[in-house]
Amino acid sequence: MDFRLDIIIQYFPVLLKGTLLTIGISVVSILFGSILGLGIGFGKMAPKWYFRWPFHSYINFFRGTPLYVQILIVHFGVIPPIYGKTNALITAFVALSLNSAAYSAEIFRAGIQSIDLGQREAAISLGMTKWQAMRFIILPQAIKRMVPAFGNEFIVLVKDSSLLALVAAPEIMYWSNTMKGQYLRIWEPYLTAALIYFILTYSLSKLLSYVERGL
Amino acid sequence: MKKGWVMLALVSLMIVGIVGCGSNNDANSNKSAAVEKIKFASDASYAPMEYMDTDTIKGFDIDFIKAVMEEAGLSYEVTNTGWDTMLTSVKQGTEYQAGLSSVSITDERKETYDYSIPYFESTNMIMVKEGSDIKNALDLKDKKVAVQAATTADELMSGIMGIDNANLKRFDSNAVALMELNGGGADAVVADIAIVREYMKNNPKQNLVGIVDTENFGAEYYGILYPKGSELREKLDPAIQKVLENGKYAEIYKTWFGEEPNLDNLLKAE
Repeated sequence: MDFRLDIIIQYFPVLLKGTLLTIGISVVSILFGSILGLGIGFGKMAPKWYFRWPFHSYINFFRGTPLYVQILIVHFGVIPPIYGKTNALITAFVALSLNSAAYSAEIFRAGIQSIDLGQREAAISLGMTKWQAMRFIILPQAIKRMVPAFGNEFIVLVKDSSLLALVAAPEIMYWSNTMKGQYLRIWEPYLTAALIYFILTYSLSKLLSYVERGL
Repeated sequence: MKKGWVMLALVSLMIVGIVGCGSNNDANSNKSAAVEKIKFASDASYAPMEYMDTDTIKGFDIDFIKAVMEEAGLSYEVTNTGWDTMLTSVKQGTEYQAGLSSVSITDERKETYDYSIPYFESTNMIMVKEGSDIKNALDLKDKKVAVQAATTADELMSGIMGIDNANLKRFDSNAVALMELNGGGADAVVADIAIVREYMKNNPKQNLVGIVDTENFGAEYYGILYPKGSELREKLDPAIQKVLENGKYAEIYKTWFGEEPNLDNLLKAE
């Protein structure tokens, strides 16, 4: 099989730039996604149904529709009225953060609810407030249980960022599409992209197992 | 739990059934392939050149190949496979013997594929909103430009603006590139003239202006895509030549574009 390294070398500098952007988008989206997700997760655990309902809908919407469509809606429907015009970078951060928040929320909820209720009761009977019980007793135990699930979410998010090529955010997939167009060749661009994503996600999973052992 | 097993059994039965039917169909199509039906792959998302009208493939290219295949006396079939599948399967040349999808002939692409003689002359056109100060291709240099990735528009603008210029935005399809112009994220769209005209015809209310710049955007030619060393190419080239010369081509051209083609350029190009 002929495989042309020369065109990969030609595209190497821009692929590198694309990789940096992918990392940037992923890190920011994971960060905002988790913060937002924590709030939504707590919201979904609210005792009253009418408090729970908006958070519940949020999760259902973002988990129940394809990210592909969410990116289009954010890019052409949400950003122009707010920002005045379309912008691929803003779309990237907003769409991925909102999407990741829905999944993070469920991870937080699962983690917190996995801690036995007796722990909370014990903490409160020791004279802790509800907040202190959450902060010092439940969350430290829950977070340990959330790490593997978060690892999953991070890795999925890194790969999902490839969908942003749809709105021309110049990340890895975008540049491999460009490579494809110039030479009308499939394997060089796609396998190169796959390899880069693999390196990214593999390093991430190594990093996560290191963190997990440290906990 | 018991119900679960029943469901599982039913689902597996269905899958077996579907797979079974699938292989039956394969056997049938193998039989018809024995009559030597030439199969063309196409990415039918490029109106008016090739597009899907619900479940039928239509367009200029489709009418053109019909005339060519009648001339050559061969039976054929055009299938919408999407762009990537077309590229890989034509390169292999086993399932599809050729690609028909407004593919521009360029030197870089010739390194991997063979082309027929040129059958269509095209140029890229700039589309801007009314009142824009863009007058030609060089004005685009420091503007935001949207193109469809993997097209000659992409290549031309990469040449003018630099391949890693962040203001050159490559989209999945022309439709999304055109939406970017509406959304204000781009100052102009560059695409094949036929596509731009079709879009302006379909969206008369958007106050769009098309700019032709023959100086900076030279003519380009579409060819049928063949695998390297294709035998079909030698069979079809004379038929294409015939269709171009006997008036059939001009007739098809007129029904799709409402004007006479410039055949002199096309016949001179090679």
